[in-house]
Amino acid sequence: MIRRAVLIVLGLIWLGPTYLLLVNAARPAASYDPSKAWQPSGSFALFDNISRALDSANLSDSLASTALYSVVSPMLGVLIGALAGYTIVVLRLRHGFWWFLLIFGGTIFPSQMLLVPLFVGYSDLGLYDTRGGLLLVYTAVNVPLAAFVLRNFYSGVAFSIFEAARMDGATTWRIFWRIYLPLSVSALAAVFILEFTFIWNDLIFGLTLTQTEDVRPVMTALAGLMTDVYAGTPVPVGLAAGLMVSLPTVLLFLATQRLFARGLSLGSV
Amino acid sequence: MSTRAPILGRFRYGYVAPAALLVAGLLYVPFLWTAYLSFTKYDGLAPPEWVGLRNFGKLLDDPALLTALGNTLIWVVGTMALPVGLGLLVAVLSYDLKGGVWYRVPFMLPYALSGAGLAMVWSPILSHDGIANILLGVDTAFLQKAPHNTIAMLLVWTWQQLGVNTLLFVVGLQSIPKAPIEAARIDGASGWTLFRHVIWPLMAPLTAVVVGLALVASLKTFDIVWVLTQGGPGRNSETLAVTMYKDTFVASDYGYGASVAVMLTVVTGLASFLYLRRQVR
Repeated sequence: MIRRAVLIVLGLIWLGPTYLLLVNAARPAASYDPSKAWQPSGSFALFDNISRALDSANLSDSLASTALYSVVSPMLGVLIGALAGYTIVVLRLRHGFWWFLLIFGGTIFPSQMLLVPLFVGYSDLGLYDTRGGLLLVYTAVNVPLAAFVLRNFYSGVAFSIFEAARMDGATTWRIFWRIYLPLSVSALAAVFILEFTFIWNDLIFGLTLTQTEDVRPVMTALAGLMTDVYAGTPVPVGLAAGLMVSLPTVLLFLATQRLFARGLSLGSV
Repeated sequence: MSTRAPILGRFRYGYVAPAALLVAGLLYVPFLWTAYLSFTKYDGLAPPEWVGLRNFGKLLDDPALLTALGNTLIWVVGTMALPVGLGLLVAVLSYDLKGGVWYRVPFMLPYALSGAGLAMVWSPILSHDGIANILLGVDTAFLQKAPHNTIAMLLVWTWQQLGVNTLLFVVGLQSIPKAPIEAARIDGASGWTLFRHVIWPLMAPLTAVVVGLALVASLKTFDIVWVLTQGGPGRNSETLAVTMYKDTFVASDYGYGASVAVMLTVVTGLASFLYLRRQVR
C-alpha cells in the first residue's frame, strides 16, 4: 500500500511538467500567462503554434537538413560498419582483430577532443557550414558501433552459408550484398535507430561546425532560440517546437519496437 | 580465432578501408591533434606555437576551471543520487506490482524530449516570473545564483532521465532468479532486509553497468547546461565540457581549450578505470 502511494505521489510530480507542456503548447500564442498556466485554454492552437515555430528562424529548412543527416549518415555508417564486420569475420581479414580494435577504438574519444581540429580542418577544406561536412562527421561517429554490432552478428552466422555461395561462384561483394546484409536486417535496424536518435538529438557538432540556418541541425537551431525564455518567442510556440522536434524519435521507436528488441538479442539468428 | 586461411578476395582491404579511413581521419587524427594543441598557444589563425606545459599550469589557478570542476562534481554525485538512485527506488517499488507498467508511465514520458525540447519546457517554469515561483509563492532566481542553478538543472535532468534508469533496473530485477528470493521470504526476510541482503547482491552486475554509464555521461555533462544557462550567468554554472567549449569558441583560445579537453578526457578515463577496477575485484 505504501509502495503504491509513493509511486503515485512521485508519478504526479513527474506528470506536472508534462501536463504544463501539453496544455500550454496547445494554447493560443498570445494568451499565455504564467499565473494561469495550469488552466487549460478553451481553444486548441497546437497546429497554429507549430506552423509559427516553423516560420520563425527558418526552422523548417533546419528540420529538412536534420532529417537528411539523421537518415543518410546512419545508413552509410551502418553499411560501412557492416562491410568492415563482414570482411573481418567472414572473409577472415589478416590481423582482423587489430583492424576491429582500430575501428571500435573510435568510440572512446569524447567529442570535446574532436571539436577544435574538426572546426579548423573543416574551415581549411571548405567543409565548414556545409551539409556534406556534417554528413561526413556523423557517418564517421556511427561507424564504430555498427562495426561492433555487425561483427558480433556475423560471427554467429553459419560459415557454410558463405562456402555454399562461394561454390556457386558468387563474388565476395555479391555474397555480402545479397546474403549477409539481408540476413542482418534486424541488427542493422537496431543500430540505425540508435544512431538516428543520436544524430537527431546532437547539439555539439551542429553548434561547432555550422552557422547558417538551413545547414544548422534543428536542436542547435532551437538552442539558439533559447536565451532568456526564448528571447521574444511566445512560450506556447516554443513548447510546440519542442514537442514537434521530439516527435520523430518517439514515432520511429514505437514503430520499430519489435524489430528493435529482436535486433538487440545480437548474434542469434 | 579460427585457424582457417584468409579468404582470398581482391578487395579485402578495400572493404575495411572506408571504415578505417573514416575513423582514422575524423576521430583518431583530431584526437591526436587536440592532444598536440594542448601544448601550444593557438588562436586558429597564426600557426600553433609550442609552450610546453604552460596551459596545464594555467589550468591549476584558473578560477573558472575550479568552478567548473566543482559543478562537474555536483553533476556526478547528483546523478548518482537522483536519476540513478531514485530510478532504482521506483524500479524496486514497482517491478513486482500488479500493473507496475502503468505506475512507470509518468516517468517514461519526459524521456521522449530532447535536450532543446527540455529547455523549452523548463525555461518558462524556472524563469524569474515563471510558474515555479508563482506556484511556490516565492521569488527565487532558480537559474541565476550558484550553486542553485546547477542543482535546479540537476532536478530537470532527473525529471528527464529517471525513466530510462528505472527501465534498466526493472529489466534487471525481473531477470534475477526467483528461487533465492522465495527461500529468503520463507526464512522470514522481507522489506529492507530482503532487498539489502538478497535482491541487491543479485542485481549487482546490472547496477554496475547503469552506474558506469551514468558516471561517464555525467562527467561530460554539456547539452542541458548549454540549453538552459550556457554556463552562466557569468561562468558560474559551467561544467568542464562547457568550459572547454567556451574557452575554445568564445574566447578563441584553442590551445587552452584543448588542454581543458585533455583534462576532461584524463578525468573521465581515470574515473572509468578506477570504477572498472573496483567492479572487477
